[in-house]
Amino acid sequence: MHMNRPERFSEYSDQQLLENFYRDGNTEWLGHLLPRYTLLLLGVCMKYLKNEEEAKDCVQQVFLKAITELSKYKVEYFKAWIYMVAKNHCLMKLRDQQGKRAVEVNDIHVQTVDETLEGNPHLEKDELLDRMAGALEQLNAEQKQCIILFYLEKRSYHEITEITGFSLMQVKSYIQNGKRNLKIMLDKKAKTGKQ
Amino acid sequence: MSDLLNILSNSNKDIDNQKLMDYLAGKLSAQEKHEFEKQMAESAMVNDAVEGLQQFRDQKKLDTYVEQLHKQLHQHLHQKKRRRTQWFEWKQDQWILIAVIVVLLLIVIAYVVIKKLGHA
Repeated sequence: MHMNRPERFSEYSDQQLLENFYRDGNTEWLGHLLPRYTLLLLGVCMKYLKNEEEAKDCVQQVFLKAITELSKYKVEYFKAWIYMVAKNHCLMKLRDQQGKRAVEVNDIHVQTVDETLEGNPHLEKDELLDRMAGALEQLNAEQKQCIILFYLEKRSYHEITEITGFSLMQVKSYIQNGKRNLKIMLDKKAKTGKQ
Repeated sequence: MSDLLNILSNSNKDIDNQKLMDYLAGKLSAQEKHEFEKQMAESAMVNDAVEGLQQFRDQKKLDTYVEQLHKQLHQHLHQKKRRRTQWFEWKQDQWILIAVIVVLLLIVIAYVVIKKLGHA
């Protein structure tokens, strides 16, 4: 546990804490890493389980699972991994309760693409801007409107609901789907450009 | 116009729990709020978390829940560590015990041999 580098634990990145854990097997490193995600996990579990006590228990179980699994496998991207563990755990719980409550996890597989989104670093900035503007034009009206209001006019979700009359869920999904479509269009263009 | 490029950028910022709580409590300025919502649009996890946390009836309870979870986590980790060190210490003690017995045995054997040789 006597690692040098950052003086305080809060200055360690997730990656550093994990690496130190893999190096000396001391679970105290996880004691600094996992609490960073308590609030997020509580929210994620609540979103799927819709019950405060169950969500709290679920976070505790996810922690235990993480401690066991992290000792067995090497995890590279902690945030994405713990999110997946939590979602799978919620899914399993919901499956167990099936019958009592219809499974409301249709959107559980959506949105994961965004976790890996990256800009295309190989393109010149101007070229990329052109392509982006072109791609933006091809989006459907709702997505384009929400993307422009959010990213270019820097409006909040709430303001966008007021301007457009869409619900909060709609605004979020237009922004997320719009973003995903832009990414797909740019990737496609980059591929055809190379050929 | 260069804001266009921000649409696909991924800031990969570390989560800031205080920001998250402030966002839920509506305490952020317009600009901070927008920055935070950009993180939500970038990360499905943050987005899910906000949606879930907004469903808690009493937002003040969140701190209590988080504290309880941290306490349980640390208790679990310390128990695990204590079990590990106890086992390790017992293992070490075992070797010391064996060493002492072997040394004692050697002394006894040496004593017996020397005595026999003396008689002979």
